[in-house]
Amino acid sequence: MSILKLNVIDLEKSEYKGGKSSLCPGCGHDQISNVIIQAAWENGIKPEGIAKMSGIGCSSKTPAYFLGKSHGFNTVHGRMPSVTTGANMVNKDLSFLAVSGDGDTASIGIGQFIHAIRRNLDMVYIIENNGVYGLTKGQYSATVEKGSKKKKGAANQQAPIDLCAMAVNLGCSFVAKSFSGSKKQLTALLRAAMSHKGMAIIDVISPCVTFANNDESYRSYNYVKANDEVLHIVDYIPHFSPIEAVEVPAGEFKEIKLFDGSTLRLETVGSEHNPNDPVEALRAIHEADREGRHVTGLLYYNPDMKTATETLGLTDIPLMALPDSQLRPSKESLELVNAGFRAN
Amino acid sequence: MSPRVNDFTINIATANGTGSQSANLVILHSMYEMGVPVSGKNLFPSNISGLPTWFIIRASDAGYQAPGDYTHIQIMMNKDTWQKDLDNLDPGTVIIYNEDTKLPVDRDDCIVLGMPMTKMARKISPKMAKLMANMYYVGALAHILKIDDDAIRKAISQQFGGKEKAIEWNMQAISEGKEYAQENWEYESEYLAEAREKDPNTFLIEGNEAAALGAIYGGINMLSWYPITPSSSMAESIIAWIPKLREGEDGGATCAVVQAEDELAAAGMVLGAGWAGGRGMTCTSGPGISLMSEFIGLFYFAEVPGVIWDVNRTGPSTGLPTRTQQGDLSMLYEASHGDTQHIVLIPGTVDECFEFGWRAFDYADRFQTMVFGFGDLDLGMNRWSTAGFEYPDIPMDRGKVIRSQEQMDAIENYGRYRDVDGDGIAYRTLPGSGLDPILYRGTGHDENGIYSEDPQVYHATMKRLKKKIDGARDLLPAPVIREEKEKKIGIIFYGSMENTIVEIDDMLEETGLSISTCRVRALPYHSEVQKFIEEHEKVIVLEINRDGQLFGILRKELPVHLLSKVQSVAYSDGLPPRAKVYTNMIIDTLEGAES
Repeated sequence: MSILKLNVIDLEKSEYKGGKSSLCPGCGHDQISNVIIQAAWENGIKPEGIAKMSGIGCSSKTPAYFLGKSHGFNTVHGRMPSVTTGANMVNKDLSFLAVSGDGDTASIGIGQFIHAIRRNLDMVYIIENNGVYGLTKGQYSATVEKGSKKKKGAANQQAPIDLCAMAVNLGCSFVAKSFSGSKKQLTALLRAAMSHKGMAIIDVISPCVTFANNDESYRSYNYVKANDEVLHIVDYIPHFSPIEAVEVPAGEFKEIKLFDGSTLRLETVGSEHNPNDPVEALRAIHEADREGRHVTGLLYYNPDMKTATETLGLTDIPLMALPDSQLRPSKESLELVNAGFRAN
Repeated sequence: MSPRVNDFTINIATANGTGSQSANLVILHSMYEMGVPVSGKNLFPSNISGLPTWFIIRASDAGYQAPGDYTHIQIMMNKDTWQKDLDNLDPGTVIIYNEDTKLPVDRDDCIVLGMPMTKMARKISPKMAKLMANMYYVGALAHILKIDDDAIRKAISQQFGGKEKAIEWNMQAISEGKEYAQENWEYESEYLAEAREKDPNTFLIEGNEAAALGAIYGGINMLSWYPITPSSSMAESIIAWIPKLREGEDGGATCAVVQAEDELAAAGMVLGAGWAGGRGMTCTSGPGISLMSEFIGLFYFAEVPGVIWDVNRTGPSTGLPTRTQQGDLSMLYEASHGDTQHIVLIPGTVDECFEFGWRAFDYADRFQTMVFGFGDLDLGMNRWSTAGFEYPDIPMDRGKVIRSQEQMDAIENYGRYRDVDGDGIAYRTLPGSGLDPILYRGTGHDENGIYSEDPQVYHATMKRLKKKIDGARDLLPAPVIREEKEKKIGIIFYGSMENTIVEIDDMLEETGLSISTCRVRALPYHSEVQKFIEEHEKVIVLEINRDGQLFGILRKELPVHLLSKVQSVAYSDGLPPRAKVYTNMIIDTLEGAES
């Protein structure tokens, strides 16, 4: 008899799975979907409490492949942040887990991405970043590095948009970079993002096996593996089982307390990175960029920001659950409104 | 000679940003206070300061609210439009002008009355002379029309609420203006504002504020908006009124207000709110609707409730951004790509702005789709009379939402998009409920909400959507029909044309025609609209646009045998409709049809 493994809310991992993927075999996005399933299960989040959000593109199709017990919305190209904003305004108790791509976020949707950060929308925003448009057959996107070359055609000549640098500059409360091939790092970062209150961005390099996995592509498996500059080793220690925690590392480390009481441990590799300092975060990004490398880890973290709904001072009950009596003022109040106009 | 009583039009020519709006509102409100049936139109430029503005005040015992086809009294304050304003006047017009402009008034055929308004104002306050000068024409009009002193005092204190100094100075300016006119002008006035018994219940309000209040009584809980004339005041009214009328038990807000980064985002937020079970709304004008169109298609196809108000301005493109038009109707009805059709509510009065303000949410939830409120600058930003708003007579309708497992179990063969009741409207569940979740999408989907590109599935979905919206026809506000016994000529119209139709009707009946009218209040149009057409010999569709947009919709949807008797009369120049222009076009069209 096999013993089924249950999480902290007594659910099997299968409760977090979705439909069968229709992406290309070996696609980095499928690895990320698996990490999402793993992280949500390990964190013991109720599947029905999650809202899966996405835009349009290969990455945005993936919400069909994980968390089948959660409602979701595969919206329009680049506009997922606004739909998430509206849903968040009327139901702040939902946990928003969004998946987008580099085309969706860095080109058509860059405005909405920026403004969601400005508002500190309470959501996890994963960018599955491969540098090409997959569904339209392999055009460059705006995040691809200058000089990077996809399988067909000339090398890219335009300067890239680094979404993490932009997010740091905009004061995003949680900014991380990772790689779809680094399952352990990505899982720990995603679990931490899920424990965060406010906007958590994880920019994940996710190679496109069909259009840009050749060695001249700066976003191919081989290139990223050879050029991954790990900022620190990350370990997530959940609030519900602190003792189960990983071994205390021999070297130096830093611990970050997350909103739900969980901890993210950052073990120093090389020089220490202070994730509370935006200047250090930008330096790490620019230095790696200068050397043609990809820096991964928790770049920036600021736990002291109000979320969008907190800033608005909304009542505690989610607005969609308010009784009609609190939404429609009384008949007497309308008489007073009329009387006020008449008196003027 | 006995004077014309409560039957005249005053045109006040000033420059934007000179404070003339206060003076104009004092005239309007003081006459309103006397019970004189009066309406005001602000024709303003897209500019903060300096460009010409005209304010038109019409007094009419007949209840006419259009700007009127003739100017009886012209106030001249603006040098830039001086000669053009003069050239437009008919002989016999009373011209009251500011002598300090030092410009000539070369109209011997008119009654020309000058006053050194700026010079006089300077004596009260050198700094404020430019603003105060306007109050002298208020005094001049008070003299000529015999406007009641008490009414003026009340209008002044309303205008400058609480600011004692301003009230004192402005009252002084008005009485000096009045005295000057008495002492210096040898003109026995042909016009008189005569007090009427005023219904104590009535007051004036802008359509945008009325719709805003309606939305609050409709339970709005998410307002997203991007500023655009002439809709901004609707959002600003919601923001101003919400804290006075509603709060949560803990004192927190019950409506989230988000000033969006653009209209696309504003529409996306409404979609998100509706999907999550809230009542989301945005308000905009034509350019915003263009930007929102992609989302509007998603509302329709994914079947998500939401409300968007379009306060129409003159298009296309930036067009005449501070002028009025009914030019967006056909765009609204079929906004977005592919086959779509949307519910459009069309208020014609401020009472209906309020009523449709709350009803829009009920229709959106009932039909699980995006509902438009359609007004225009004339209705939205000018002040109209109401006897007070009526409280909603039905409880909020949240539509077919499954909220418990029990409710779910009661439905045999549930699917998010399965038409179990036969009315085209399927049941939905909300995120967070854990009940039969699906991934909503704009791509093809089957009755269970699963991705599908199957031709038959797509065809069946589109057929059901058509049936769903078609089923709304007779549940939406019915047309307002004023019928003659003799059913000869019928006029179909909508929206702010309501303010001009009575005058058009009277002008036409003076020529011996028998006219019935039918004001359409929603799309898809009610079956009574078709009945009205069937029962009349000839039908004119009257609109404030170039191409006859409702006419186009009717031509597409009416049975072919009715088409030959329906004709279009459409005209738009950016101004609120004047009766004579449309009356002449109607007569020409009817004569053309006969020959």
